[in-house]
Amino acid sequence: MNNALSKKKMDSATIITAAIVLCFYVAVFIAEQFIAPTSMLFTVLKKGATYALVAVSMNLLNGFTGIFSLGQAGFMLIGAYVYGIFTIPVASRLDVYQYYNGGLVQFVLPWFVAMLLAGLVAAFFAFLIGMPVLRLKSDYLAIASLGFAEIIRAVMQWDKLGPITNGSNMLRLFPAFNDFNIKNADGQVTVYLSTLVPLLIAGLCIFVIILLINSTFGRALKAIRDDEIAAEAMGIRLASHKRLAFCISSFFAGVGGAMLAMYQTTVQAKGFTTAMTYEILLIVVIGGIGSVTGSCISSFLFVAASEWWLRFLDQKQMIGDFEVPLLRNGFRLVVFSIIIMVVVLFFRKGIMGTRELPDLIRGIGRKNKRPTNGRTEGVRSEGLAARNPRPTNSEDAGRNNKGAAAK
Amino acid sequence: MSENVLKIEHLTMRFGGVVAVNDLSMDINKGEIVALIGPNGAGKTTAFNMVTGVYTPTEGKIALEGRDITGKRPDEITKLGVARTFQNIRLFSSMTVFDNVLTARHLRRTSNFLTATFRLNLAEEKKMRAETEALLKEVDLWELRNEQATSLPYGKQRLLEIARALATGPRLLLLDEPAAGMNPQETEELGEFIRQIKDKFNLTVFLIEHHMNLVMGISDRIYVIDFGKQIAEGTPAEVQNDPAVIAAYLGVEEEGSDA
Repeated sequence: MNNALSKKKMDSATIITAAIVLCFYVAVFIAEQFIAPTSMLFTVLKKGATYALVAVSMNLLNGFTGIFSLGQAGFMLIGAYVYGIFTIPVASRLDVYQYYNGGLVQFVLPWFVAMLLAGLVAAFFAFLIGMPVLRLKSDYLAIASLGFAEIIRAVMQWDKLGPITNGSNMLRLFPAFNDFNIKNADGQVTVYLSTLVPLLIAGLCIFVIILLINSTFGRALKAIRDDEIAAEAMGIRLASHKRLAFCISSFFAGVGGAMLAMYQTTVQAKGFTTAMTYEILLIVVIGGIGSVTGSCISSFLFVAASEWWLRFLDQKQMIGDFEVPLLRNGFRLVVFSIIIMVVVLFFRKGIMGTRELPDLIRGIGRKNKRPTNGRTEGVRSEGLAARNPRPTNSEDAGRNNKGAAAK
Repeated sequence: MSENVLKIEHLTMRFGGVVAVNDLSMDINKGEIVALIGPNGAGKTTAFNMVTGVYTPTEGKIALEGRDITGKRPDEITKLGVARTFQNIRLFSSMTVFDNVLTARHLRRTSNFLTATFRLNLAEEKKMRAETEALLKEVDLWELRNEQATSLPYGKQRLLEIARALATGPRLLLLDEPAAGMNPQETEELGEFIRQIKDKFNLTVFLIEHHMNLVMGISDRIYVIDFGKQIAEGTPAEVQNDPAVIAAYLGVEEEGSDA
């Protein structure tokens, strides 16, 4: 998609993007050392990193392959459980599995191995479920995958599986984000890493997804999204490529689930509801279906708005002697819903459309030279563009430019 | 006779009670340009869809270079060397011209998703890009490589579809109404172009077309079908003088121009 322009220019945009990301990490590291660890900022960053990874994994499926799946919470659940089950210290197992005599698993894996395993198990389940589910199309696939997530949630709470999953009781005492902080002998934290490490994990995973998207397999997935019949006629085997996307997406959803477990410090199946999938779908839609950058930005905005910036709406607020009306518990969600509606109304294609950060940088560098070829919005209305290509296109380009400038 | 490329025997396709193609038999030899013509709804595209694996024929057999391909998946048939274009253009709309063609090289890959993701296939990727570049230069679309595929003028989109089909490395090229929507001049250029690529890429061409000038101008042989049944076969001159064809088809030649 991005072989556009001369190679030199593409490289510079990529380098600037890399620099921006690096600056972000450095800023987080510094902030973490000086700002109190209880600040909401870090909560948002940690949860945002987790959601960003899951949102990008969902975008890989919904945005880049055109498979409308709603099973994300189910795969996160699997990931969270696998992580929890294999990382609870043996000494704590009697406490955690108090109704099951300490459970069956009596060994511990290092956290990163458990995290990898979380992804692999989620991908394995995706492989199994994909066989029947991926034969379905659009809405049917969404319903089937949603059903799977619900079933998994019920199965995990099954009493008979208790020795492994702890039944409907929660898993806890496994290593969490706070354990990434480096402590001295007295147990005092010397270097704070509890926010940086999750951001690095999410960043690494998202980087791998970006690599995949820009590989020959990524092109094949986009081809399937654009036109299944044409893709198949070009020799792309639909079944295997869809399964591949499904498994990889689930792998990262599983890793994201493990991260969520670390963020929450406890795991309980009943927390992984359909509502969680919808939250992530919302993030993907707001960010832009088919934009990794969009998913990342919108997940941080989403988490910040829902957990932090709008919290004041839930309490009585006084301006001088005047008590602001309407503010009460739950009002936050009303405002939040309105904001989402406004965003969807004014950014039909999400914040980013299908553009990525390097595209924006390129757009800025090029703006004065010549109009962008409208490679984003509108062009997908195939018939229209085909019949009347030139005017439509330049119009689109103009609109895109304005859109980019407005931001 | 020269080497047989495509052999269709007693092909029948029924959709419920409708017989779209009825007992169709064809032979296409290496290096030929063979046209399949017939009035609208005669079953031409259905025949194409069976050859390319979109439909599994109700009865009959299709053999490619002596190998039975009846009922194989479209992607398997493409891998065996059959490429096609579509009557209503089906380009990858979100991609550039370059990526459209590059994507069609995907099927000749040797990398798997891991080697591709972690860039262990750089040599192959480079080769794919070089081949795409060569192909785009060949069909004169190189200047437009960074354009959105669907932003091209109609005629160029048709050309791009052919280029994309060529990128899969076919020996048999199926063109479904390649001149649809083109003006007479473009149609003439297209005829010349088809002949050129046939020689350059060592192809056999099988096409469906309504533009009689194009069909008569470039075809070695023509099959005529009506209501799914073959009514004539022969050289352009033979077909033009066949009374059955005149009755069924050329009597309504006007519709050829508005196709």
